[in-house]
Amino acid sequence: MSPFSQIITVTLWEFRRFFKPKNELIGIVVMLFIFSIGFFGGRYAASGEETKSELVVADNTDEYLISMLQESFEVTLLPADETGKHIGRISETEEGKYLQMQGDTFLLHAWEEPRQLGTLKGILDEYDQLRNMEREGVSGETLEKIFQGASLEETYFQDSFRRNRNIVAISFAILMVLAVFVSFAYQFTAITGEKQIKITEQIVSAIRPQRWMDGKILGITLTGIASVITYSIIGLLAGMLVSQFTGYSVFSVFDSLYFPSLAPTVILFLLFTILGILFWNAFLAAVASLINDPNNSGKTSFMMVPILFVVLSLLVLNNPDGTPAVFLSWFPLTSASAMPVRIAVSSVEWWQVAGSFAVLALAFYFLRMLAAMIFRFSILMTGKELSWLEVFRALTAKTPGKFQPPQSE
Amino acid sequence: MKAMNEKETVLRIDLLNKRFKTVQALRDLSFSVDRGDIFAFLGPNGAGKTTTLRILLDMIRADSGIIAWYFNGQQVSLPDPPLIGYLPEERGLYTDLPVIRSLVYLASIRGMQKNEARTAAMEWLERLDLADRANEKLMALSKGNQQKIQFISSILHKPAFAILDEPFSGLDPVNQEKFINYIRELNKQGMTILLSSHQMTLVEKLANKVCLINRGESLFNGSMSEIYKAYGNKHMVDVTFKNAVPVAEIQSFDGVESAVGTDPGTARIVLQSGTRLAPFFSQLAGADGVTHIRSHSRNLHDIFITLVNNHQL
Repeated sequence: MSPFSQIITVTLWEFRRFFKPKNELIGIVVMLFIFSIGFFGGRYAASGEETKSELVVADNTDEYLISMLQESFEVTLLPADETGKHIGRISETEEGKYLQMQGDTFLLHAWEEPRQLGTLKGILDEYDQLRNMEREGVSGETLEKIFQGASLEETYFQDSFRRNRNIVAISFAILMVLAVFVSFAYQFTAITGEKQIKITEQIVSAIRPQRWMDGKILGITLTGIASVITYSIIGLLAGMLVSQFTGYSVFSVFDSLYFPSLAPTVILFLLFTILGILFWNAFLAAVASLINDPNNSGKTSFMMVPILFVVLSLLVLNNPDGTPAVFLSWFPLTSASAMPVRIAVSSVEWWQVAGSFAVLALAFYFLRMLAAMIFRFSILMTGKELSWLEVFRALTAKTPGKFQPPQSE
Repeated sequence: MKAMNEKETVLRIDLLNKRFKTVQALRDLSFSVDRGDIFAFLGPNGAGKTTTLRILLDMIRADSGIIAWYFNGQQVSLPDPPLIGYLPEERGLYTDLPVIRSLVYLASIRGMQKNEARTAAMEWLERLDLADRANEKLMALSKGNQQKIQFISSILHKPAFAILDEPFSGLDPVNQEKFINYIRELNKQGMTILLSSHQMTLVEKLANKVCLINRGESLFNGSMSEIYKAYGNKHMVDVTFKNAVPVAEIQSFDGVESAVGTDPGTARIVLQSGTRLAPFFSQLAGADGVTHIRSHSRNLHDIFITLVNNHQL
């Protein structure tokens, strides 16, 4: 049996084991259901706020203020001499709001703090400013002139798709993190779980650890990517649902990204993302190989490392051509997300892109070997988790046979 | 390299050595398995059996020595997966998946076509009265039935050479007998079998060759007839006394090689080769308080214990 056939067999086994279209479909339906409830519920709740709330105002109030208030409230005028009676009524009925002016001060009487207090304060502030301007003899026109911004005509020579590329690059980084996080749980089941159910010795007698590990990494990567595609479909469906009610077409997002022109960039970003997912899955596989029991291992926190480096890579946005950014775009732990971001916001030489990709590919190549090596040693350690010293000894041993796991018979 | 009869020998191990941190796990271990053998690889706990099997399958490397496999007229250091079947001592299968799915997967990574694997798996499940449980999760099966599934997974792909480490553990006596017949049948079909087990009475029924190791060292390596010829030609007499065993008195009898107290009031006596039983029993009858006498030839179990107990490094 060829190595390739064995790797493909393991890859498909892992993919079919973890990616269940039926469950994903149920997930989509449940998400849509929850989203619909949230959306329609929100609209229903918001519709209540559209009804103007009632506000009683003393009839000796400035007419201009009354007209301003009528834009946001259902204003009822009350003879000023009935003020005391009305305030007493609010206390008795436990509802209602009453506003009166006393010189430069406004008095508000209400049973409880009204939900529209912010709106009311805004109107009163605006009215107060206008009244003060009038007292100082400043006309509306003069004020408008003072606050008018400087006139600026803008002309930029960089292509206009930089923002779009930036969005795409960050989107791919987010997708990569999502895919890696989805893989997070599967790695424990696929590797640590198999160590726990003690099937590994039988498996390794049939397949070289490296082929087994390659199959695992590829299968889980496929699962992660398939899950992310599913989530993207959910997002798209949710967006389409929103567009039905908001009048904002979800497809306008694609229009604004102008895909035909961005296609080569998108493909490049996609390649970096896929390689990045493979790299991180090889990393997670190596960590999972070290762990015997996820509930009692201090090494589980290493699973959080990918997100740390992806966040770090976004620092490139500040100064895409500075030394730190160049380093991050070459360094394998950050390059999968940092290089696309650099490409998006700056002009990067082709050899830098190719070099960064090659370094990442090389790092993945060696990381998967490391994962297989750790796995090979750890399955023979019955009841004991490999320590970092033992990992180091395993790595520095001239031949695998030189590393001596404890006697297990 | 020595000249080999490649038609007969499937596996040859020469002067295998392996040391762990403080333990010499294997010391100059040598044996060979011929095509069609049922080869019993025996030893007490910690003797180095599993270490040897793991070295054979390249899970760990030996410090020195030669391992040579011969298949299809060619010598290889590690056979292709389809040629080997392995039932590890440490059992484990996918407990949360349907039985048939696990069996097909394990056979397919050894190169068997999926349809063929499914058909073969169903045939074996029927033979072991488990066909109706093919789609159940393994965890729903009893320990004994899980053991049967584990056995199927090791031979389903019809390997030329099967390594079975403790194949009878977890089985009741009825199923142990069934497994003996299955192993015989597989052997008749051409499968060479390397068997490691503690159940000597079962091994005795199956094996034609035996290698006994202790502390990583070979104590005996040869055919079953040779081991009986070398160590099984002495009579053993189990004697029960009403009171304490008069060990010193028994040892003074003519023809006695050794006498040890096994349980309170019971002694096991080993007679020298060629000792006639009638004169010995006459002497024994004179001893005080004899209530029960049973004489028998040494079986594999007795030989195993004697050789291991006498083994000194």
